Amino acid sequence: MKQKRMLVQVLIYVLLGAAALFCLFPLLMALMNSFKTNRELLTNVMSFPSTFNFDNFLRTFDKMNYLRSLGNTVFLAAGGVCLIVLFSAMAGWKICRTKTHLSAFLFGLFVFSMLIPFSSIMIPLFRVVLFLHIKNSLVGLVFVYAGLGVSMAIFLYHGFVKSIPIELEESAVIDGCSSMQVFFYIIFPMLKPITAAVCITNALWIWNDFLLPLIVISDNKKYTLLLSTNTLFGQYSNDWTAILSSLILAAIPVIIFYAFLQKQILHGIADGAIKG
Amino acid sequence: MKKKTKQNISMLLFTLPALIVYAVFKLIPAISGIYYSMTDWNGLGKGFDMVGLDNFKEILSDKYYWQSILFTLKYVIVMIIVANLIALLLAATIESRQRAKGLFRTIFFMPNMISMIIGGYMWMFIFTKVLYYMADNWGMTFFDKSWIGDPKYAFIAIIIVASWGSVGYLMIFYMAAFQGVPMNLKEAASLDGANSWQTFRHVVLPLIQNAVTICIFWTLNAGFQVFDVVYALTGGGPGRATQTAAINIYEEAFRGNVRYGYATAKSTVLFVIVMLFTAIQLRLMKRKEQEL
Repeated sequence: MKQKRMLVQVLIYVLLGAAALFCLFPLLMALMNSFKTNRELLTNVMSFPSTFNFDNFLRTFDKMNYLRSLGNTVFLAAGGVCLIVLFSAMAGWKICRTKTHLSAFLFGLFVFSMLIPFSSIMIPLFRVVLFLHIKNSLVGLVFVYAGLGVSMAIFLYHGFVKSIPIELEESAVIDGCSSMQVFFYIIFPMLKPITAAVCITNALWIWNDFLLPLIVISDNKKYTLLLSTNTLFGQYSNDWTAILSSLILAAIPVIIFYAFLQKQILHGIADGAIKG
Repeated sequence: MKKKTKQNISMLLFTLPALIVYAVFKLIPAISGIYYSMTDWNGLGKGFDMVGLDNFKEILSDKYYWQSILFTLKYVIVMIIVANLIALLLAATIESRQRAKGLFRTIFFMPNMISMIIGGYMWMFIFTKVLYYMADNWGMTFFDKSWIGDPKYAFIAIIIVASWGSVGYLMIFYMAAFQGVPMNLKEAASLDGANSWQTFRHVVLPLIQNAVTICIFWTLNAGFQVFDVVYALTGGGPGRATQTAAINIYEEAFRGNVRYGYATAKSTVLFVIVMLFTAIQLRLMKRKEQEL
């Protein structure tokens, strides 16, 4: 009996190990083969590279305009997240604390559109972008992301504010604080847990978003990491060492991000999920 | 001034920034889309004319569009079952480990950090190079398939990659739900002689029904919009065999034809279909929740 249980335990770990290997397999294969020469890769894709030469990385680093693409992506994600957090925290708090017909209407207006698929609005959105002359503008794109992201964030902030007692704000008002002061000095610091969740989910979304930049950005100076990688993939269709090294370069920033903020990220995802 | 009016004005001031970006980039596109779908607007001429319901009539006989809708539907259904089952299984298995729980959670969530464009291209390498190598040199001949070139296997490849990229996300939801199940309930069930499957089926599953609803809802919504993974792996090919609705609309608007009006009509139809399925799903799950 005891032996049988041991066996089951070992079996479970073996299966989990296999699943873990499956998860990491594409990354490991890409990493391993990105150090090879094309000849070496074509002879054996499963061997360890004979030498660790960084030639492929140097080659694609330039080709992708890596630093510029990375900078553009960081700008979009950081800018988008800042706007979403600021706009949604203000709106979510005030809508929650105001008990009028208008506040109920506004809340409904923000929330109802969460179900509209992006592909359903992308063409009219493209028209708005053309109309505002923000095609190929990263600053413009930050505002587009804010517009698409506030619904969900307001929903989360609204739910969170409900759970904090109102007395603190009331006494601050009696002490002569303006609404702005109440928000920035008292409310905003208390929203920290949900702000973390909003930051993480939106940063990941914007960072990994492909379709919107694909439509809006055609100037290669404004390319995001994904757009550069995609273009490189098209140009080097059979040069796998170039492609794989560019994929590794494109994946490195998120992997580092994940390595350092893993706990916060997993918490943030779970928090966003429970309230959503 | 009345107190309510004053409150409303103060609220509007705080809501204004969010309201402006939301109106400009989401509400206006959503509403004007209905209008554009009745025009012959394209990328070539400056102006455009109203054409009434002509676009929708054309959609009715657009074979490739319905083929892409059917493909998307197939994808959504398979993903709802496959991704959620695997996620539930992984969550249940690692939730009960004392050791190594954090490690496995970290690894299983990892693919979710990476864009499906990057992940899709990495898998492309696996499907077009690594599997052939294994078939030729390690005798794993069942890998010797045209994974990208044959529609049947291309679908399987897409499901594998899409599951790889989303299971970790669903698993986090399920793990959070499992933590909400009181320990003593499970203990009571096993004292009463229930085996682990019975405990799971009759004690745990009813208590995490809410998470199941959310996860299926999420898979459904994300599934109907699927673009990146198919774009990276097959580009909708071979031919149009793996074209999803989003790719069909994208190509109509931004590749070749530039028929914005017609593509918008297609996206309006897609929206109606998504709404229909979401409503059905929520109704079914609600009923299920009440039964339990």
